Amino acid sequence: MSDAYFDDENFNDGFDEDSYKQGVKLELWKNLIGYALHYRKEVCLLMLCAFAVATAEVAFPLITRSVIDAVATQGKAVDLGYYGGIYLAFCLLLGVAVGGFFWYGGKLRTHISHDIRRDGFRNLQELSFSYFDFRPVGWLMARMTSDCERLSNILAWGILDLVWSFTMMAGIAGAMFYMDAMLALVVLSVLPPLIWMSLVFQKRILGSARLVRKTNSRITGSYNESIMGVQTSKAFVKEAENLNIFGGLTGRMYGASFQNAIQAALYLPLVLTLGALASGLALVYGGLQVVWGTITTGTLIAFLAYSRHFFDPIEELAHWFAELQMAQASAERIMSLVTAESDIKDSPEVSARISANTRADKAIDGYPNVITRIEFKGVSFSYDVGGLVLNNISLDIKQGESIAIVGSTGGGKTSLVNLLCRFYEPTQGQILFDGIDYRERSLHWLQSNLGIVLQTSHIFGGTVAENIRYGDLEASAEEINDAARRAGAHHFIESMRDGYDTPVGEGGSGLSAGQKQLISFARAILADPQILVMDEATSSVDTVTEQNIQAGLHELLKDRISVIIAHRLSTIRNADRILVIERGEITESGSHAELMQVEGRYYQLYTQQSLSEFSRKDASWVMAPSNDL
Amino acid sequence: MNDRRKLRILWNLTKGYRLSFAIAIGSMAVGYMFMFGVPLVAKFSIDAILAPQDMAPADWLLQLARSISTGDEPGIVDYLVLAALATVSLTAVAGALLYLRGRFASLAAEAIIRRLRDQVFNHLEHLPSRYHDKADTGDLVQRCTSDMETVRVFLSAQVIEINRALLMLIVVMPILFSMHVLMAWLSLAIMPFLFIAAYLFFQRVKSLFTIVDEAEAELTTVLQENLTGIRVVRAFARQSFEIDKFALKNAAFREHNKRLMALLGAYYSFSDIICLGQIGLLLIIGANWVSEGSLSVGTLFAFLTYEGMIIWPIRHMGRVLTDSGKAIVAIGRLSEILSEPMESQDEYNPGQRLTGQIRFDKVTFAYDSLTNVLNGVSFHIKPGQTLALLGPPGCGKSTITQLLLRLYDYELGSIKLDDWELQDLNRKFVRSQISIVLQEPFLYSASIAANLQIGRMDATFEEIRQAAMDACIHESIEGFPRGYDAMVGERGVTLSGGQRQRLALARALLKNPPILILDDSLSSVDTDTESHILQSLKKRRHQQTTIIIAHRLSSVMHADKILMLNNGQVVQEGNHDQLLSEPGVYRQLCEIQGAIQRQIDLDVSTQDAADMTSEKQLAKP
Repeated sequence: MSDAYFDDENFNDGFDEDSYKQGVKLELWKNLIGYALHYRKEVCLLMLCAFAVATAEVAFPLITRSVIDAVATQGKAVDLGYYGGIYLAFCLLLGVAVGGFFWYGGKLRTHISHDIRRDGFRNLQELSFSYFDFRPVGWLMARMTSDCERLSNILAWGILDLVWSFTMMAGIAGAMFYMDAMLALVVLSVLPPLIWMSLVFQKRILGSARLVRKTNSRITGSYNESIMGVQTSKAFVKEAENLNIFGGLTGRMYGASFQNAIQAALYLPLVLTLGALASGLALVYGGLQVVWGTITTGTLIAFLAYSRHFFDPIEELAHWFAELQMAQASAERIMSLVTAESDIKDSPEVSARISANTRADKAIDGYPNVITRIEFKGVSFSYDVGGLVLNNISLDIKQGESIAIVGSTGGGKTSLVNLLCRFYEPTQGQILFDGIDYRERSLHWLQSNLGIVLQTSHIFGGTVAENIRYGDLEASAEEINDAARRAGAHHFIESMRDGYDTPVGEGGSGLSAGQKQLISFARAILADPQILVMDEATSSVDTVTEQNIQAGLHELLKDRISVIIAHRLSTIRNADRILVIERGEITESGSHAELMQVEGRYYQLYTQQSLSEFSRKDASWVMAPSNDL
Repeated sequence: MNDRRKLRILWNLTKGYRLSFAIAIGSMAVGYMFMFGVPLVAKFSIDAILAPQDMAPADWLLQLARSISTGDEPGIVDYLVLAALATVSLTAVAGALLYLRGRFASLAAEAIIRRLRDQVFNHLEHLPSRYHDKADTGDLVQRCTSDMETVRVFLSAQVIEINRALLMLIVVMPILFSMHVLMAWLSLAIMPFLFIAAYLFFQRVKSLFTIVDEAEAELTTVLQENLTGIRVVRAFARQSFEIDKFALKNAAFREHNKRLMALLGAYYSFSDIICLGQIGLLLIIGANWVSEGSLSVGTLFAFLTYEGMIIWPIRHMGRVLTDSGKAIVAIGRLSEILSEPMESQDEYNPGQRLTGQIRFDKVTFAYDSLTNVLNGVSFHIKPGQTLALLGPPGCGKSTITQLLLRLYDYELGSIKLDDWELQDLNRKFVRSQISIVLQEPFLYSASIAANLQIGRMDATFEEIRQAAMDACIHESIEGFPRGYDAMVGERGVTLSGGQRQRLALARALLKNPPILILDDSLSSVDTDTESHILQSLKKRRHQQTTIIIAHRLSSVMHADKILMLNNGQVVQEGNHDQLLSEPGVYRQLCEIQGAIQRQIDLDVSTQDAADMTSEKQLAKP
């Protein structure tokens, strides 16, 4: 589905599709060829096969020539079995070589694309989030699927084409000159215009093919969008409008495909006619030579056969060169993905400590496993673009403490959590875990001690149980059950058709937004983390359910550090400490009661939500007499 | 659906372009007649060179030769020059005709596919929600793209290929038999076997092609899940788990692919030997007859050339026919979509603005036959009133709104808009009267302004801005690098959940119909912003009927009527005051919030006024 579905229009990823104008970048191809060189044996055998195929193909007209000349000179006495034997030998050679190049070429192609994909995927697992901020999923998918296939094709079949074409051309030219140099020159005079025309046309054909591909990926995108957004389109009665836009796209597709077909349809007759010109020249000049007795009939026939075939390798080569130059941008993209370095990773010292560590009672990096204190010291942070998101934040959190973060959208709440989880690192200042800067600790250790429930809950395909088990791959059904119970998800899961074994559909499409949140919540609980982070984790859950979860959480959070981002008053009231973050700074900090007394921003935020402020006049009677603030 | 019906569908698709196909195939037939003239020219030339004394040129040829001859009588040179000219011009004419073939074939194929693409797109947009619930997006997109491409290739290439091989045979057979009957039989002997072998082989490997496709699809799925859930992967440090999972699929794809290549290699290797062997046989036996004098060298050359021209397309036929089989399957899958009934569209359209009165009467509804999502729901809202829906996840809140939009059709009970039964009203009319903000709003990958304009196409920029202000999103939009022209979606700005909700709200406000529905659409918005939005909604209060689904009391307490739902039933109904005065879930809800407030008040009142200063210090970080 994702095949080339991401195109580059409207999205400048810094790679230029038209880079063939700048010539071939050798460094890049050297990197890529490195992948092919893992399979030296296959590469050599593939070249050998290509060589054998070309040799056999050059040989056949020569055999025909010998047969005809032998018949002419020896008449009935000719030993046709001998020639038949030679023919058969070359026939078998060609057959075996063709089988061989499919086998080795196929092996090379599939292995190269496998290896590039493997390395790309591994690297993607390590790259920091700042890498993903500017590269949408569709972009990455296109690199890992269609670009991979395209490049491995170019590499594997390119080696084949290169060897085959050159052998073939050299062989044909050699055979011609061997038979008659003058006639060879006459026939080969067609070559320069043929080469020039092939290059021009192949480049054009590939150019329009690229336009077709781009438009096609936009059509795919449109289908995708129309299906995903079908409810919205219906609700706003946008069907006709959408069809109109789509019609413009298919119209463009029609134009581009037609142009591409016309170019190919033009190229073929031109090449055929040039070939016929070569045949005609061979016929006149060769025919005369036969009459004069300077060459044999067999030679003339061989020339006629060669003149029909020598444009094959030129066409292949021209196509391959054009393809190679056009694929350069793809190559750059995929290599950039494979070789990109994560800006957040274990430093060499940390890695050294991890491999040196033998103590089972410690974390993998040799430091204590238990987190008793987290400190933010003068932490400032900004994303690659834009100004400071967090400004000089200092904060001290102890084991067992729960922290709630409130504030307006865009104030820096989620960024603070991202730093805590080391999804990003501070641009200034330090974050210390028990006095040690977390950059000196293992990234894997930190993240395996985290449990995070994100704003938009991500549900994998598969069953409910599988989704929860992601928190702890070894968890028993019992433990999953228990986590779900604590997350307030058990009840609705049990009422589903197959309970915990119910498939959730792609991306959890069979679940409501609230249900998805509860499942991701269960997943985080199951992970049994030292640090639990909840970023608007229950925003789509009703207040009663949410209260029940809160009650259960209390016990759970006892020895952990928990950080909660929420808007609902009832969600945050139990936190030990509430931080108000505005414009990247902590403006207020304290317990609910303390902050209410200050009558600052927190007070303002939450009286807006509270019953008494809203309906002092008409609803206050139900409240306790003292509820008027 | 049987193959015959699918073929009929395919035939019907070509309507309007059959003439183009006929021209393409006709030019190809004539083109090959010219093309096949070339070896004949060579044959006569060679024979003439070898035995000039036997040459008996026809009168027209003699005339032609005389006209270019420099001497008195035309010599062999003149005839050879004529032959060369004939070779080039025959090929050029054939080339021109082949160009026409390419032009008309692609003209027809691309136009047919364009029409089919539009048709499928339109159909998908008009299929009922029930269909979309069950359908898998990936599968649908696959059909619209891969299957479409298969049909396109069939129309533009395979139709021509099949005809090409047949036409070549038809054109070449008379020539071969007129030259030498025995040689002709010998040339054609292998063809049926070659064709059958090729066909059988590709029928066999067809399943392997499918396996490779499936392996690739699985690989893509794993990749996509990993990339969309990359934050979850990191959050649980599951990198190695994911790498293992991917490695498995990656290797499986590689191995299947390799197996396919190996099989193809075996086939091409074998069939190359057969084809070349056939040409070799022709050469050796032909040479034997030449040596006996029963065959001329020129004729042998012509036979070898013709054999080389027709044997490869015949070998290719097996592949072409198998691929055509795939096209039949593809067209079947596409017509499955097209044969699904669309939403009914011919109900009554009053063509006037509704007042916004809604009446549910004992409505019962189920998405599938198993469980009722709504169970006898009844309520009534007067024009301009606000209704709030509350209840646990899965209790049927969103279902009510979806029924109102006629995304689904109810079977039991009655829903009335003004005095019309909803089921009797035109869907598009109903939807034009309702504005909805969905729980998980969908935004198009277009500019922000374009996304807002979806609410009302003829809205001025000023109106768009006003709607954005009412939804408290104007400032955020202004903050984007390109403001209202910033692109939404993968290629543009990334929006937070709250921003998406507010954009969807602005879009809905812009539409300004008699009924507005907010389906949990303020959940990701902070309380400050929420109260601003509620204020601007309040201003419109009596202009439109509003249905609000929400979890925060502050969002729902001002509603004229509040419905508490549970398990598809209305468990409580009334306004805030009424519901507070009776025991029930609503009161429990208020008590949760009330308890907090009492606690705060208690804290505040017991605190000494003198502590206030120290508290304020504490509040500074």
